[in-house]
Amino acid sequence: MTNEELKSYIETNYTSLLTHNEAGKYDLLFEVDAVNLVTVCEKLKNDPELLFDYFCNLSGADTTEKFEAIYNLGSIKKKIRIDIKVVLPHENPVIDSVQTVWPAANWYEREMWELYGIHINNHDNLTRFLLHDEWDEGYPMRKDWDAPDFIRFPDL
Amino acid sequence: MGIIKKLPIYSEKIPGGGIVTTSVEQILNFAQAKSLWYLLFGTACCAIELMCTGASRYDFDRLGMIFRASPRQSDLIIAAGTITKKMAPRLRTLYDQMAEPRYVIAMGGCTIKGGPFYYDSYSVEKGIEHIIPVDVFIPGCPPRPESLLEGCLTLQKQIQQRKLADWQEK
Amino acid sequence: MTDLRTEEFDINMGPHHPSTHGVCRLLLTMDGEKVVKVVPYIGYLHRAIEKICENRTYAMCIPILDRFEYVTAMSCNYVFSLAAERLSGIEVPERAEYLRVIMLELNRIASHLIFFGTTAMDIGALTPFLYALREREYIMDLFEMTCGQRLTYNYIRVGGVSKDIPEKFIPQCKVTISTITEKVEEYKRLLNKNPIWKMRTIGIGKLDADLAIAYGVSGPILRASGIDYDLRRDDPYSIYDRFDFNIPVYHNGDVFDRYMLRLDEIQESCKIVAQALEGIEEGPIRAKVSPNFKPAAGETYTRIENSRG
Ligand code: SF4
Repeated sequence: MTNEELKSYIETNYTSLLTHNEAGKYDLLFEVDAVNLVTVCEKLKNDPELLFDYFCNLSGADTTEKFEAIYNLGSIKKKIRIDIKVVLPHENPVIDSVQTVWPAANWYEREMWELYGIHINNHDNLTRFLLHDEWDEGYPMRKDWDAPDFIRFPDL
Repeated sequence: MGIIKKLPIYSEKIPGGGIVTTSVEQILNFAQAKSLWYLLFGTACCAIELMCTGASRYDFDRLGMIFRASPRQSDLIIAAGTITKKMAPRLRTLYDQMAEPRYVIAMGGCTIKGGPFYYDSYSVEKGIEHIIPVDVFIPGCPPRPESLLEGCLTLQKQIQQRKLADWQEK
Repeated sequence: MTDLRTEEFDINMGPHHPSTHGVCRLLLTMDGEKVVKVVPYIGYLHRAIEKICENRTYAMCIPILDRFEYVTAMSCNYVFSLAAERLSGIEVPERAEYLRVIMLELNRIASHLIFFGTTAMDIGALTPFLYALREREYIMDLFEMTCGQRLTYNYIRVGGVSKDIPEKFIPQCKVTISTITEKVEEYKRLLNKNPIWKMRTIGIGKLDADLAIAYGVSGPILRASGIDYDLRRDDPYSIYDRFDFNIPVYHNGDVFDRYMLRLDEIQESCKIVAQALEGIEEGPIRAKVSPNFKPAAGETYTRIENSRG
């Protein structure tokens, strides 16, 4: 399946759930509401035409007005790939866990919770992960984060 | 006989054997400098260069340096790699577990002042000098095996110049 | 002996342990010699690379990314450059593509050699370590003559590569890859029939295909579990579609298969390098890209087949 076919397939079959977002020539990026995330993911995984069984990556982003969580999914059998983006408010960001769909998401979600402060619902082990155990300085990947011993790169 | 000539001793043959004169300080220093067993403490990229130095081409063993896995058996930590804030207490513990006299070589920019992670990093210690005392710094990112060898030779020289009185105080 | 009471016990392994090069800590629950449960603790090498890259220009990110994956630094350079190129639509000159493939594959070999040496060392055989690192030095020589560094290359840049190869590179590279192809046979002879090695690898650490996919395992480990999936073929990037190479796949998913697979991959990589050395032609090595360039705003996700997945 080429990217064009994939795009039209998703646009016809997932109209109410996913909205297309312009991305580069090589990627297909769709947006989904946070409430629908798990339903969509389950559908994508079990759809016999798509079979997105492979969880490549989950990244977070802070655009200062909102948070974004971007899921990169792949399908080993069909050899296709899409990205799904969820936009979250800057106050109290909460998202559902997709680890029931792909167990691989577990660590990525923990990382996102720890570094961005995006709370994950239904996660089975939301504990300190990358930072040291006594860390209490907040969420370091947020743009407005600062700490006394944090030295910013000088402006060029 | 070549090696005997290099030893800090005075020897003379007498019928039925020989006499050797040396000072305790010199022979102790010599023994210590030539058998520095180092603790395998590689945390990041520099560890790969440390491995290369230990392997075939550069061959650490000829300096009398053999890796040990346990701090109890080693005289030297070669801190090779980034020390993060999470790792720093462990480094201190390992250092404390080593028997005196003990030495530290800081290998690579990271261990000197944070290296490439000085700016903008929330989790990297900016140098290890405030965690453990360092004897020799080796700059580079990563230092070449030759620089590491040079650093070890420098340390050996330092050890050989030590006075017995110095390490009694320690 | 029937009433011998046994019980499970916990062992803490790491974060400083001779076989943890990148540091991690494992809490192992052991039943005799068998590990029945592992709780991993990671983050001892979390260096905030994402945060650092936020604040820098694209050209300044590449050296940082070298430190990100230091065993195969080239592929980290490459995947970042690829993303920037795709975003801004930069065309990479032909010669640069060839150089990139040569470097990526040489680096894959170097990485697999480290795997081979250190795994064998941790399992209890020191000789393979010395052998593997001896061969790796030949590759390091090639890198050094090209870009001056042994480990962190900063060689693949956005739009091309930083320097052209010197004249003696091609003959020396040919010698290197033929040596390595031969040596791999020697490695196989050294270990494959060794009963201790076999006992400690065959059937150990089994990972079946479904579990591997569910947990997003990639690279050689995925292929050792019987899944024929290699991005060089399945999501082609650069000019890999011009070369003729096999993708080794093994089916047991244990340590032995992963080891065999990597050794086979070394030989396949040698084939690719040999073909690339034949096909390479004169030409420019870098598209015109200003050092401070910024691609058009946008998002992209690129993936390549790294030696470690
Ligand atoms: S000094 Fe450079 S090469 Fe060494 S650990 Fe730090 S970043 Fe890696």
